[in-house]
Amino acid sequence: MTSIPKKHPPHTLSLTVNGETHSFILGKGPNEVSPSHTLAQTLREKLGLTGTKISCDRGACGSCTVLLNGKAVFSCMLLTVECEGKEITTIEGLSDPKTGNLDPLQQSFIDHTAFQCGFCTPGIIMSTKALLNTNPSPTVDEVKEALSGNFCRCISHYHVLDAVMDVVKKEGNQ
Amino acid sequence: MKSFVHFNTRSVDEAIHLLKKYEGKAKINAGGTDLLGVLKDRILPEYPEAIINIKTIPGLSMIEDGEEKILIGALTTLADIINSSLIEKTFPLLKEAALSVASPQIRNVATIGGNLCQDTRCWYYRYPDGIGGRINCFRKGGKTCPAVSGENQYHAVIGAKKCYAVCPSDLAVALTALGANLTIAGQKGVRTIPVEEFYHPLGNTLSPDEMITAIHIPKPFPVARQTFHKFTLRKPIDFAVVSVSSLIFLDQEICTSSRIVLGAVASAPFRAYKAEEFLKEKKLSAKTAEEAARLALDGSKPLAKNAYKVEIAKTLVKRAVQGTE
Amino acid sequence: MTDYRFIGKSTPRKDARDIVTGKIKFINDVTIPNMLYGKVLRSPFPHALIKNIDTAEAMRIPGVEAVLTHKDVPEWMGGASPLHVRILDNKVRYVGDGVALVAAETEDICEEALRLIRVEYEPLPAVYDVEEALQPEAPRLYDMFPGNLMPPENRIFGPHTLQEVVIGDVDKGLEEADFIIEGYCTYENIPNPMPPEPPGVIAAWEGSDTLTVWSASQGPHMFKVALQKRMGSINLQSIGSPVGASYGSKFMSWQYVLPAAALAKATGRPVKFCYGKAEHLAAFTVRLGSRIYGKVGMKKDGTVTFVSGDWLVNTGAFSETAQAMVAVGCGEAQLMLRCRNWNLKPKVVCTNRTASGQIRGFGGQELKCALTPIITMGMEKAGLDPVDFFKKNYVKPGEDFYWRDGIRWVCRGIDFSAAIDRGAETFGWKEKWKGWLIPTSVKGAKRRGVGVGVHGNADVGEDVSEAFVRLDPNGTATIYSGLAEHGTGQRSSICKMVAEILQLPLERVSVTPTDSRVNPFELGPVGSRGTYAIGSAVIAAAEDAKRQLFERMAQKFNVLPEELETKDGTVYVKGRTETKIPWIKGMGYDSTCMGHGRFEPDFSQPNFMMIFTEVEVDTGTGKVELIRVVGATDVGQVIDPLSLTNQLNGCLGSAGIDSALFEETVFDTRLGRIMNPNMIDYKWRTFSELPEMEHVILETPFPSHRFHAIGVGEITPSPGPSAVLMAVSNAIGVRMNDYPLTPDKVLRALKKIATTKRRGKR
Ligand SMILES: Cc1cc2nc3c(=O)[nH]c(=O)nc-3n(C[C@@H](O)[C@@H](O)[C@H](O)COP(=O)(O)OP(=O)(O)OC[C@H]3O[C@@H](n4cnc5c(N)ncnc54)[C@H](O)[C@@H]3O)c2cc1C
Ligand code: FES
Ligand code: FES
Repeated sequence: MTSIPKKHPPHTLSLTVNGETHSFILGKGPNEVSPSHTLAQTLREKLGLTGTKISCDRGACGSCTVLLNGKAVFSCMLLTVECEGKEITTIEGLSDPKTGNLDPLQQSFIDHTAFQCGFCTPGIIMSTKALLNTNPSPTVDEVKEALSGNFCRCISHYHVLDAVMDVVKKEGNQ
Repeated sequence: MKSFVHFNTRSVDEAIHLLKKYEGKAKINAGGTDLLGVLKDRILPEYPEAIINIKTIPGLSMIEDGEEKILIGALTTLADIINSSLIEKTFPLLKEAALSVASPQIRNVATIGGNLCQDTRCWYYRYPDGIGGRINCFRKGGKTCPAVSGENQYHAVIGAKKCYAVCPSDLAVALTALGANLTIAGQKGVRTIPVEEFYHPLGNTLSPDEMITAIHIPKPFPVARQTFHKFTLRKPIDFAVVSVSSLIFLDQEICTSSRIVLGAVASAPFRAYKAEEFLKEKKLSAKTAEEAARLALDGSKPLAKNAYKVEIAKTLVKRAVQGTE
Repeated sequence: MTDYRFIGKSTPRKDARDIVTGKIKFINDVTIPNMLYGKVLRSPFPHALIKNIDTAEAMRIPGVEAVLTHKDVPEWMGGASPLHVRILDNKVRYVGDGVALVAAETEDICEEALRLIRVEYEPLPAVYDVEEALQPEAPRLYDMFPGNLMPPENRIFGPHTLQEVVIGDVDKGLEEADFIIEGYCTYENIPNPMPPEPPGVIAAWEGSDTLTVWSASQGPHMFKVALQKRMGSINLQSIGSPVGASYGSKFMSWQYVLPAAALAKATGRPVKFCYGKAEHLAAFTVRLGSRIYGKVGMKKDGTVTFVSGDWLVNTGAFSETAQAMVAVGCGEAQLMLRCRNWNLKPKVVCTNRTASGQIRGFGGQELKCALTPIITMGMEKAGLDPVDFFKKNYVKPGEDFYWRDGIRWVCRGIDFSAAIDRGAETFGWKEKWKGWLIPTSVKGAKRRGVGVGVHGNADVGEDVSEAFVRLDPNGTATIYSGLAEHGTGQRSSICKMVAEILQLPLERVSVTPTDSRVNPFELGPVGSRGTYAIGSAVIAAAEDAKRQLFERMAQKFNVLPEELETKDGTVYVKGRTETKIPWIKGMGYDSTCMGHGRFEPDFSQPNFMMIFTEVEVDTGTGKVELIRVVGATDVGQVIDPLSLTNQLNGCLGSAGIDSALFEETVFDTRLGRIMNPNMIDYKWRTFSELPEMEHVILETPFPSHRFHAIGVGEITPSPGPSAVLMAVSNAIGVRMNDYPLTPDKVLRALKKIATTKRRGKR
């Protein structure tokens, strides 16, 4: 039987978000990351990346969707301490950091007014991005499936589908 | 969320050691898609002191093909199960069940082990502490189950006595139909138990120092017709109102044997033995399907608001037997 | 039709880039230095007296800055008129009602502190049903409301505020009727508008007399007015943030703003107060409950000879606007039904469930959802096609109605018959409608049916809006408006209107932040008033600014101001584009032109929405699937096509059509608790289940403003729920009138499971 490592928990934590690595001290103080903090909390409160939204905070609405090693996940249902060593991408990391050029998806959402209040939009864009990363030419049904965990109460779904399919078409995939 | 001590464990032994050390005051975290909700709403009578991350244990996320069975590691995500061509080919019903769970984002992190061990979704049990305090139901040590004469539309219709919560796991239903076994590691060593015997009315048979490490699923022989039907109010996200997993061994039109399991009707996946018995050596027709459905739900005792579940279950059994949508 | 440069063309929303990059700051994305967080301790009892509260232990936690109870909160009052709800009281009236407030350095600390507050309650009997609440022996929520009856409101919309529809002579209508139908229907499944962003606010004091409130209010300026009424004459600055949707619910939310202000006052520090989703769903506001016992007379040709009945409105613990919603609902009923004899009497009743709020459909949806199924029984009896019936009875130019102000208005809008015809054609109504309780098609266990509903509102011209438009010499225009952006794209649309009038590139027109110290009065984008009311004020301000500009530029050209024209920041004489002078040449760098515009209420131009639905019912499981929706409307002139279709698509969500299908707040009446305050158990529509959706949008010019347009956004969900009831009834051949049509109810109607007693006491 292995013995329990002596020092628990580790005192620092590093997170790679949008290509940049950030170090935190683990602890309960106002400026530290607590072991009970969710990734969504850390992104918003410690890194100021408030593009990731929290709505249900229970894994049911998709507002907090980010990419973890390229896959769409709910950042409200992940502990920050368990994200060490992973690549995290948020909505703020989609546009080109140097030129500020938008991702084609973002531009298409603008062109189609694929939002109303816009609260759900970052989550929807991130889920779509994850889909297009693995499947650049999805069918409408595949897009619907990929977005099936994203809540949009304003019912911007129809415009979202138009925006996404337009990108799929323009990128010459279909 | 209230704080806790957190451990990233590197081995099953280490995890078990910690579980033992905390004497029931620690919780394993796999994907966390269930556990974090439980913690945030503070529904447990005793908030855990420690959280033990098992995702850091190497080797528990895998799907291995064997001659007679397939082995799935407890940390395998539902997405990996869905994307496995081996699973698709061998256990299409398991793929369907995994695909029916929650949403893509959840399936990317949710594990099969966590799915089997998730806490019930009874809304009395899950009532959030922040809105007037948690409800002290029978499952939490209270005297009665408030669902019995309350809002019981999603509660048990068969065999419940003290607690009417249902087992929420879709994979448990599928794995019961497939006759799968669990490998459980604990302080006392390793044991194996059929999924069918894993649940009891107030949860599962794990002791506080145990964890699931793997799931073994025998390959059905001869090849059987597999179906998984889950009825929900809407397609993604929802837990089953009722589900039916079935394995029907056919010789021409004749059913040689079958396994029919109902989900969300009881505290555990419910084997419809009477229906299975009845179908043996029967030609599958609308009439036999009707009778199988009746027998499957024979003995059900719905509460005031969930008689519809019985009717839906019958329809699903009928459709499963007939092989229609 | 006029071909405009911007109006009617799709242009990107001004905030689009910020939205898609995550830069936009919703209220919970904002932090200000030295800020504390606030949280509420919530009652476990639906009705109880607080005998004792001990906060000492909570106060001792490091990081806790204040704990307030009913003993030490300021006497600011909320609730309806008369104001009757304290921020915290010594009595709680629903599960989730506030008991104590905590301000601390972090939300986690707040939560730990809440758990250490010891409260001793004396539970009281509770009442949830409107009719039970009216009984003399019923528990009483407020001493000032005997019988739990809220008094009719006689001020909110002027001295004659409409609180019932009593017109003509019902006895005469009884005589004239070929059919008399008596019915009962409820819309009491308490749908929640459930915007994604939970309500939130930051409050900060400067000294003791100046309060700044940052909030996601849908109408920040009106909110200031309302708060000042509640807090006395303090200086109040109300700053709006983008609204993470509201659907009415976040228009005026003193429930969380006054506590935040109280905590900020007690601690001398800014306090942020943002609800979690469970609080949002269980302790904020839901739709009013609506129950009607009605009687309707009808002639064979579809003429309605009378409507009478009792309309019982359940507010829950309170409602800030129930009486106002009753007023608007009473007006809207008359728009839908041309009828000379009315006796519709509302009763507004408090009960021990969560409070109600104003929600898209504002009284009208609540009323219609319960009234239409009763009217429908009449159509069925008379064998009338509902499309023909609605077409015959919807208000037409020259016809009159009493609006919320109790004043008789004559419709000078347009006739919507063309929209109805085009909608029916697009939907294929003639082919699909097979008669009452007859399915459109049957395939195995699947049965399809169709239904239609109608709604309209004269609120497109409600209330006052003011705006300034300032022209700067560099050829830019700034709109001063308190208009909040809550998803309709209205802040961008008013830029289009101003750009059109001033012929400026859209990039050169901007709107001030919604800050009440900067902007003139603006009620806010409620009802469907954005286009006509708010738009008219802005248009008038732009015209006024343009007039001033021309006055200054006229001498440069030696012409009369009226002879001038402007384009792209230059001025020229009409027809003589060769000499263009930039604004700065006439204005100098040291001046601005400030135009002022004001809109006065006009209730003479109702809008219109018809919804056609097709459903498929699986008779084996009782599941109802919405297959297709066609909306039909006439908006006069489209301002922004994409924003308009977005609003029309919105008919499904925000406690709209889906409140007939699966949306409901499940309430345990033994515990007084809401069982589904989360987004798993509260059902909402997902991407996987989108019906086919099509809209017929006509553009028949209205005599409204410069662009002849009216708004429609608010009403798009309202005709839907009753249309779904009709469609399901037709599909399964059994009349259904119990929202929402869950599998349970459908299977009961099909007699596959035994039926039990329904709600309703009579
Ligand atoms: C919005 C939403 C919708 C959902 N819908 C569905 C659905 O439709 N069907 C369904 O079946 N589920 C559903 N779920 C539940 C979902 O959490 C599970 O399906 C998921 O598989 C749990 O896996 P996990 O790894 O995240 O578990 P965790 O949250 O990590 O763990 C769950 C529990 O199991 C214990 N545990 C985890 N792994 C082990 C192990 N190896 N040995 C012993 N104990 C262990 C943990 O201590 C914890 O108590 C839904 C959840 C959400 C939030
Ligand atoms: S906020 Fe994370 S899923 Fe809703
Ligand atoms: S745009 Fe408002 S919720 Fe999606």
